[in-house]
Amino acid sequence: MSESASANAPKPSSSVKLVLLGEAAVGKSSLVLRFVNNDFQENKEPTIGAAFLTQKCSLPTRTIKFEIWDTAGQERFASLAPMYYRNAQAALVVYDVTKPSSLTKAKHWVAELQRQASPGIVIALVGNKLDLTNDGGDVSEAAGAAQGESESVQNGDEGAGEEDEVQDAVSGDARKVSTREATGYAEEEGLLFFETSAKTGTNVVDVFTAIANAIPESSLKTGRGTGAGTGQTSLGNRSAEDSRVNLGDRNAATAKEGCAC
Amino acid sequence: MIPWSSFVQKAQSLIDPANFNIPALSSPDHNPSKASLFRQQFRLPDSQNPLQEITADLVLPLPSSSANQGDGSRKVDRAGNTYTGRLHLSERFICFSTQPTSFIPSATASASTAWTGQTHGTGPSGNGFVLPLSCIRRVERLHSASHVFSLALTTWNGLLNKQQEPNLVPQRLILQLVGSRQACERFCDTLKKGLREGMKEVDNLRTVVTDCYSEYLLSGAKGKGQDGNEADTRQPPDAGLGLIFRYPGDARKLRDRSKMRLWGEYFRENGRNATLIRQPTFHKLIRVGLPNRLRGEIWELTSGSLFLRLQSPMLYQQTLAKFDGQESLAIDEIEKDLNRSLPEYPGFQSEEGIGRLRRVLTAYSWIDPEIGYCQAMNIVVAALLIYMSEAQAFFLLSALCDRLLPGYYSTTMYGTLLDQKVFESLVEKTMPVLWDHLTKSDVQLSVVSLPWFLSLYINSMPLVFAFRVLDVFFLEGPKVLFQVGLAILRVNGEELLETQDDGTFISVLKSYFSRLDESAHPRSENPKLRAITRFQELMVVAFKEFSGITHSTVTETREKHKGAVLENIETFAKRTSIRNLGPESKRLSVDDLGTIYDRFYETLYQWEQRQRVIEEETRRQERKKSQRLSMLAPPADTQVGRVGLGPSPTHMDYEAFREFLAATSKWAVADSPGPSGKESSSGKSALWANRRQPADHEFMQRLYRKWATNPEEGLNLQNVVNGLARLKGSPDIMNNINYFFNLYDDSGNGQVDREGILKISEALLFLSRRGFEGTITATPSVENLNSTADRDHAENSLTTDEKFLGSVSAFIRRCFEYADPSHPENRKADQQDATAEATEKLDSFAIGDDDEEEEDLIDVDDAKPVSSPAPDATAQTAKSTTPELDSHDHNRSTSESANPALDPNNPLHITLPTFRMVVLADELLEQFFESYFPQSFHLSDHPHPAALAASSSMSSNLTTFSNLGSIRSSGLAAGSAPVAGASGGIVPPGKGLRGVLDNIVSDGIRMAAEVKKRMDEAQRDLERNALSREEDEDDEDDEDYPRRETTAAAIPGGIPSWGAGAYGADTERRSVVRDADRDLLEGAEVLGGGKEERTSLLDGKDDANHAPRKVSGSAASAKDGGSPTARDGEVISKLVEFES
Repeated sequence: MSESASANAPKPSSSVKLVLLGEAAVGKSSLVLRFVNNDFQENKEPTIGAAFLTQKCSLPTRTIKFEIWDTAGQERFASLAPMYYRNAQAALVVYDVTKPSSLTKAKHWVAELQRQASPGIVIALVGNKLDLTNDGGDVSEAAGAAQGESESVQNGDEGAGEEDEVQDAVSGDARKVSTREATGYAEEEGLLFFETSAKTGTNVVDVFTAIANAIPESSLKTGRGTGAGTGQTSLGNRSAEDSRVNLGDRNAATAKEGCAC
Repeated sequence: MIPWSSFVQKAQSLIDPANFNIPALSSPDHNPSKASLFRQQFRLPDSQNPLQEITADLVLPLPSSSANQGDGSRKVDRAGNTYTGRLHLSERFICFSTQPTSFIPSATASASTAWTGQTHGTGPSGNGFVLPLSCIRRVERLHSASHVFSLALTTWNGLLNKQQEPNLVPQRLILQLVGSRQACERFCDTLKKGLREGMKEVDNLRTVVTDCYSEYLLSGAKGKGQDGNEADTRQPPDAGLGLIFRYPGDARKLRDRSKMRLWGEYFRENGRNATLIRQPTFHKLIRVGLPNRLRGEIWELTSGSLFLRLQSPMLYQQTLAKFDGQESLAIDEIEKDLNRSLPEYPGFQSEEGIGRLRRVLTAYSWIDPEIGYCQAMNIVVAALLIYMSEAQAFFLLSALCDRLLPGYYSTTMYGTLLDQKVFESLVEKTMPVLWDHLTKSDVQLSVVSLPWFLSLYINSMPLVFAFRVLDVFFLEGPKVLFQVGLAILRVNGEELLETQDDGTFISVLKSYFSRLDESAHPRSENPKLRAITRFQELMVVAFKEFSGITHSTVTETREKHKGAVLENIETFAKRTSIRNLGPESKRLSVDDLGTIYDRFYETLYQWEQRQRVIEEETRRQERKKSQRLSMLAPPADTQVGRVGLGPSPTHMDYEAFREFLAATSKWAVADSPGPSGKESSSGKSALWANRRQPADHEFMQRLYRKWATNPEEGLNLQNVVNGLARLKGSPDIMNNINYFFNLYDDSGNGQVDREGILKISEALLFLSRRGFEGTITATPSVENLNSTADRDHAENSLTTDEKFLGSVSAFIRRCFEYADPSHPENRKADQQDATAEATEKLDSFAIGDDDEEEEDLIDVDDAKPVSSPAPDATAQTAKSTTPELDSHDHNRSTSESANPALDPNNPLHITLPTFRMVVLADELLEQFFESYFPQSFHLSDHPHPAALAASSSMSSNLTTFSNLGSIRSSGLAAGSAPVAGASGGIVPPGKGLRGVLDNIVSDGIRMAAEVKKRMDEAQRDLERNALSREEDEDDEDDEDYPRRETTAAAIPGGIPSWGAGAYGADTERRSVVRDADRDLLEGAEVLGGGKEERTSLLDGKDDANHAPRKVSGSAASAKDGGSPTARDGEVISKLVEFES
């Protein structure tokens, strides 16, 4: 985890509300669990409504505290989603690289966010379950972030070349969504793009780092305020590291539009 | 077009406020039906209706076990507990409650909803009982000296087991009816009938009861039984996974054993499972938490799911067997979650537990496909399975989904969203300071509370406590969820006021839940106070401080927010589905798509509603209702079609499509309305009255088939959007011409035969029969001929319509003229030839692409000066007769010129190029395809944006050919003449002229019809609606040809189906339909449910005034008692006795 060193440094810290969307069982909760606790559970309870977790992410110049809203994936929960992506500054739209229908669903979510979420929301498209593909194990794989600003990504861009042959030729490769197809779409829509594996941890932190970098400074100021922390959270199963989170006092929060709900 | 919002409002008026499952059959004042209130109070299946009710005293003998063991059967007359309340009788149940509820038709709303108020811990059914009639073994009628009409009920309690229970005293209870003798006897008569029916279900009862742990408990088989031998042989019934994997929590700490003892005692005195009588102890025992082994059974009893199981004991097994091996989306979803449902409980880490969970969820997804499977159900069912068998959990899940958590798990989850709104507004009301704080710090409460409700606190609180909440929840109903939720916030109020964001808010509550077992007052001096756990404190706060949160509070608040919630969901659904319509839809504007979406679902919705009303009506007439063997809420009782309420129909059949078209295009509106509602009271026609009738024309059928991917299945939104996108999406005349041609290219080989040509021409006339809405203009030269302003306009329009008529007739002629002969043998080659030929022709035409020239060309082979109707029409005299002359001339000449072509032995066809050529050869046809045809589909760009204006103007434009009445005269005269048949008397300006025009156009239609008739009789079958019209006309034509005047005069009269009246009927269609529907429903309800009650009520009231004397007087002549003899001050007359 990249943020550990920063705890003492007096870097400016700000909160970012991030929402995860995507079809059921693509691994949204697992991605979060990997990011927050560096853990993986084979049988995770389905998310009812949404789960809330936080994790910090340290950048050279500042610290970002992610307030992560992990939503339920089942289709019928979709109508609850607006409740969760309201005011979100970032979104992870997740699909399963072994399931083409999940990419379609992801596209729907992207469209929904682009129209309904706060303007300027940073969206990352994430193909999860890379471990089930042939290129799963090694990290050299895909992840050409469409906007090219993710620093820490080991960027083997050969993903674009290999997809079709690979998926047909090699048995045991469960990949059904080619990297090229997803990259193409992500570029078209101006999304960050990664392929990850929550199981092996591939690219997971990179996704969040890239998002943190992509959040414009200005939106941090007007979004969740920085400042002296007042409270400390210790949400149930959170790690110790996590519980020392500085909570931004939300003096700036009132700037946001009153919620209509 | 009615905007969605107003439509929503209307829809709401049909939604039941108390429970979404109650049919729209409620009275117009938005109240749920009495029957549904009755069922809700006593947790009865939907098949039950209140048949009889009477005030009564329930006299319970003192606990015989304590007094004297054994032979206490005749001791019932000793004073025991007496409850005064109301006795209700349904088809299969007898219910007694201390809640003074009444469900007779004349009962006030407050009397029928008395149970929705504070229940003081007894649940809505209060103290008393809900007995299936099948568990009554014997009813005796007692006449005591005090002139009271009493019944003694003996139940099967404890007698259904194979082995005799030790010390069993048959359960006997006495009911003293208070009412006139007639009222009492009427009650008894109904009871008798019910008992007879109930007798058939004793076997069911036996099956169901043996699954209950209480039977086992009391059979003495358990533990320290005296007859130990039998005990060894008997297996305890399935009381959930807990029997195998232990129940959660520490049994000692939970004082499980003493609870068990108390329950055993209670059962012995008050009956068990189906025959249990609720006294205050019962409710107290529930409040302190149920013992593990009885928990499932009591849940089943208090929730009413026991009665569902009793109704069809084998449904669970049957469902599993029936769908064995089948796949579904729900099953896929279930599989994903099986391994992740209460994984911390050992039972769900085993195949056994997971298998049970799988079977219950799967079976339920089959019997309720509208819900299928929703995440959170896995958690709830997993929890249930710890305490009950699979079948019990299955039925309890059904009770949950249908009644206790209405709409929670539906595909839109509207129930969940609604209850979140309700919860928020209750927080605002009861804890304004906290609410203000939450609002200010932008913490969204429902983010926290949604899982509480959706999974019944099961994954929020530690299991033991969640089950305690469930104990009360099943007894008292949904309000418990709110009370507990409010109490959680109240107890943590101070801490919550310090939180600033979602994160801390959540963590405060999380840590609270994790410490529920700790002392609420750890630092208190008082040891008793110290012993109170946080959970106990929570319960006290929930049920004492928030005792004001009642069922009716919840109901009313739900009602208040329902509209907004549904609208939100629908907006979301609309947005989503429009966005997902695919590339084709991009050819239409977003507004257009929105309009299509609204209209599509509005049509479907109204269609469904009407279908349902009709079904309801037939069902009532057949009196099949009582035989309905269903789970709690059959789809018939829900609001089908409302998008926000869950799965709604997604496909429209042709009938509904017609309605859709009628709302879209003027030409799709029928010319004559159905019989008016007043005339025919019989269901169907009354329903159809007063609304815009869709026409039924072959063209529409073709359109339907064209648009549908699978005509059997119907059209979905995508089909309709694609269909319209192709028509309206590109303003390209060629596209439209091709489209039209393809519509008629039945064989798909690029050819339209003679038949098709005539059909096309008919369609052209059909589409144009309401005028062109200004999209087609006559040639400038024609306009120039007219100079005077006022008449100028009228004449122009007259000219256009009439000219179009000419164009169509020319069209037929030209088609035949340029048609290619068909030779079935070598069609292929022929086709190519034809194409080539046609192309050539087209080319040659393209060179001289001039109107005049064309007409000349045509005139060449036409002997008569026909095809320039425009100049003719504009001749200053005989405005109307001339065109008719013309058209008849057309007619004749067409038939003549086409005669060779009409020879059936000489098959011919036109190809697309020919068709195109012929169309382009005519200015009006060209305009028709270029602008009118696509524009005749009105979407969002309707010229009248305001809904009312739109609909009224729409209908006022619906001039029909015969609106003119029977007056046949020249244009101006007609204009000033009174309109005979039209209702409402609204005559739009210029209508007279229009009427004349209409006659002309209808003449044109007759012409086409005649041509067709001569050619081929069989074709007429295709136009069902138009059939009579054509025949009439044809006849007239034959006879009256030379006498033009009479012919035309006869038209309006001779074509009844085109009669006047469409007019007035349309103007108020929507609202009237609604009202009419509701009136009908109201009527139906009174008709179906209420007759008997109503009379009985009247009697009852009557009797009440002078009752006492009568009763005493007639006591001796008990109706069906043998010979009432006084014995020990008791007159016993056996009413019914069943022994088996």
